[in-house]
Amino acid sequence: MIRKDEVAGRLKLNEALAVAALADFLRDGVENADSTGLVLGLSGGVDSALAAALAVRALGTERVHAFYLPYRASDPQSAVDAAAVAAKLGLALTTLDITPQVDAYFDRVDPGADRVRRGNKMARERMSILFDQSKRHGALVTGTSNKSEILLGYSTVFGDNASSLNPIGDLYKQQVWQLSRFLGVPEQIVAKPPSADLWPGQTSEGELGFEYAMADEVLYLMFDQGLTADEVVDRGYPEAVVARIVQLERTNRFKRRLMLIARLSNSAINLDREIPRD
Amino acid sequence: MTERRSKIKVGLAQIDARLGDLEFNLAHHLEWFGQAQAEGVELLLFPELSLTGYRLLHLTPRVAIHPATSPIVQRLREAAPGMAVVVGCVEEDDNGALYNSALLLAGGEITHVHRKLYLPTYGIFQEGRFFSEGRKLRMAKLFGNPFGVLICEDFWHSDPAEKLARHGAKLIGIVSASPGRIGPDAMPPSQEAWESLTRASALLNTSWIVYCGRVGWEEGTFYTGGSHIVRPGGELLARAPYLEEHLLTAEIDLREADRLRWRLPILADERSDIEWVE
Repeated sequence: MIRKDEVAGRLKLNEALAVAALADFLRDGVENADSTGLVLGLSGGVDSALAAALAVRALGTERVHAFYLPYRASDPQSAVDAAAVAAKLGLALTTLDITPQVDAYFDRVDPGADRVRRGNKMARERMSILFDQSKRHGALVTGTSNKSEILLGYSTVFGDNASSLNPIGDLYKQQVWQLSRFLGVPEQIVAKPPSADLWPGQTSEGELGFEYAMADEVLYLMFDQGLTADEVVDRGYPEAVVARIVQLERTNRFKRRLMLIARLSNSAINLDREIPRD
Repeated sequence: MTERRSKIKVGLAQIDARLGDLEFNLAHHLEWFGQAQAEGVELLLFPELSLTGYRLLHLTPRVAIHPATSPIVQRLREAAPGMAVVVGCVEEDDNGALYNSALLLAGGEITHVHRKLYLPTYGIFQEGRFFSEGRKLRMAKLFGNPFGVLICEDFWHSDPAEKLARHGAKLIGIVSASPGRIGPDAMPPSQEAWESLTRASALLNTSWIVYCGRVGWEEGTFYTGGSHIVRPGGELLARAPYLEEHLLTAEIDLREADRLRWRLPILADERSDIEWVE
């Protein structure tokens, strides 16, 4: 059985093959949809930087439309980093401040709303803009959620987890780091603590209560290899972290199966009739 | 065509397919016919379900054909009567049952039909829901020589290839649409598995093994490519690149299998009379 010290090695990817396959996925997706290109939001973080780098690999710079969509409380460093990614890839970057529409909603409806609701609204506002821009350009929205956060449910449903196609959704966070370095994403972006940047000082690892490097290994052992929580703990992972990961994975499954349809006929969409979208 | 000869120029057309689009795929096959003819190919293999794409799900019945009367097959038959060609299709029999089949076309005729024996229905595979199992294994003829044709999962069970070899096949062709995976090494793990099987089979069955895979994406899965030819005894003769369309050609000599069988008569030594004792 797999030992703890083997797990990190098993999560390593052959970079050239992985990048070639993922770029091909984006090219194929655009072609199949008779689409002109890809739209994506650059947040200044590593996930969207990798997605953008793959998009440029797939289609070149002209057909990739990049947006930076800050809120007034966004970390100023995010703007610097988003610009650095765009510059590195040769992408034009459009900045649209989402503060007016987010604040207008809460000022009018519920000035006392907490930061989680406000954060979710920001994520959905960004989604809404990206899908509008996708219609404008006849392009597809590129997903920027990785496997770790999808499994942990660390995303806003119909917000940052919404996309037309997602090249990085089967990559654990450390695989995102690995491919990002391979593709020359600036080190300041790969090395900084992951953050959804929805309020000042927010970090993903602070909010989740564990580090991605460990979470990836626990998720790999449970989700990919089918080990039980006890078997994972036996390999030397902290019990409290494993328990928390089990709970997050379980309670957030609804975010991974979005179209839950009540079946009355014998031809319900996706249940009885699985028609591939290709 | 009936004259028996031992040297055969083999071509493996490692192509992509457009899911559910017979006309497009037919035209694509014909393009590759042209290239194969230019290279003097005498036996040309296409991947599993090459005329329809693989992950059809509920599209399966919509692309089913009766090979004997299908205009699509007719055009393939007429296109290169001098070349023996293996193509993959959804075959509908007279009772309306659907099979994942490989057709051998030669001299303007369908000279052999192999219906996939083992239908993977686990993990991402759902073939058992949409296809009926083939129940018969027959020998095909290739320029007067016995020739074995198997489809993908048929080769993950040792019996069919062994039966073919024991009944005289010195060349076994495997056509496949095997979803790929990427790991740490330059050879994808999915292809490591395939080459382990093809090389072991070439040794145990003292036969030529040619493996034709495909490339491209269907929804979220990709196909690796890496089609290859293994000499009797297990030495790799040639391998196509990963992730790109390619025509891999090589001349093979069936006498190599005879020569190996003279010094390594393990097939002839096979026994079926060993008594199992509880």
